[in-house]
Amino acid sequence: MKSTLRNMVFSLTGLTLFVGVALAVVSLITAQPIADAGRKARIAAMSDILPRFDNDILSEVIECEDGIFLYPATLEGVAVGAAVETYSDDGFSGRFSLIVGFDSSGVLKGYRVLEHAETPGLGAKMSDWFSMAGSRHCVLGTVGALSLSADGGDIDAITGATITSRAFIGAVNKARQAFDNYNTGANE
Amino acid sequence: MNNALNTIYDGLVRRNPTFVLVLGMCPTLGTTSSAFTGLSMGLATLLVLMCSNAAISVLKSLIPDKVRIPAYIVVIASFVTIVQMVMQAWMPGLYSALGIFIPLIVVNCILLGRAEAYASKNNVLLSICDGVGIGLGFTCALTLIGIVREVLGTGAVFGIQVYDSDFGALLFVLAPGAFIVLGLLIALFNRINVK
Repeated sequence: MKSTLRNMVFSLTGLTLFVGVALAVVSLITAQPIADAGRKARIAAMSDILPRFDNDILSEVIECEDGIFLYPATLEGVAVGAAVETYSDDGFSGRFSLIVGFDSSGVLKGYRVLEHAETPGLGAKMSDWFSMAGSRHCVLGTVGALSLSADGGDIDAITGATITSRAFIGAVNKARQAFDNYNTGANE
Repeated sequence: MNNALNTIYDGLVRRNPTFVLVLGMCPTLGTTSSAFTGLSMGLATLLVLMCSNAAISVLKSLIPDKVRIPAYIVVIASFVTIVQMVMQAWMPGLYSALGIFIPLIVVNCILLGRAEAYASKNNVLLSICDGVGIGLGFTCALTLIGIVREVLGTGAVFGIQVYDSDFGALLFVLAPGAFIVLGLLIALFNRINVK
């Protein structure tokens, strides 16, 4: 096809219109499965990081300030802990989200990284790094606010991924804060 | 038929994108820290390559020469986005394992390179075969590099622990090891293939 202005404009416009429609259709088709996959991932994550619970945890969500969600877990009506969905915008590649599990006495029992865009092999290691039992970078079993050893605290950052590590600790501290507020409120 | 098989063989061996054309180095180095992510990345790229080569071959007479690059990129980006949405919906584990490297398939030089060099000049069947061959070549290369890096770096491959991970060399899981393994494999491949 000759490269006249008319041809160029028509072909590019036609192509992008067609592609736009196709992408909109695929987006509509996959919107529900993506939401469902997100729900399943959340429930699976929570079952791993919380003590046993039997309530419909996703429906009892409490929205705390600035985008933190707290999911209280109960077993036969008795509170056994809570999962807090937290996030950080200070990751190496922007926002990432994770769920942190606390038991009813405020001990951090576990965490799962939900969505992230961190570099595979570096920042992405936060999925296992901070849960390595017995290491100097394990956050499991802690009860207070945390900070990296580079910032004067006790938790060692991921080798070569300090930015991600700092963002991770920040997100965990936000979760800790939300849980402590909820716990003191619930105990009154 | 012969032509088709020849084209596939070309992409797999004689014009292997990683070891001969040396294209798409960024995802090669970035996703081969484990054999499984390397394999998955290769298969995703193979799928997009087949679709984009086919689409561009079909549209080649409708795209004016001066706007061919933007047009090819729009086609490639739309297929990558579709693959990304499908993965996010039905393969969430894989989606989070590959992370940002899925949308980066768009800027993988292999796709634009094959669109420009082959799909825009050949019929649909041969273009698809070229996509299959180059995609398979890429997948095999990535899987091989991933296996080498994972075995040397962590002692495990595809979930099977070959030797204790304490004796693994962390170097091979990080970027410098990726370059070293890639360079040595390119040398080995070209040595075997000297004709």
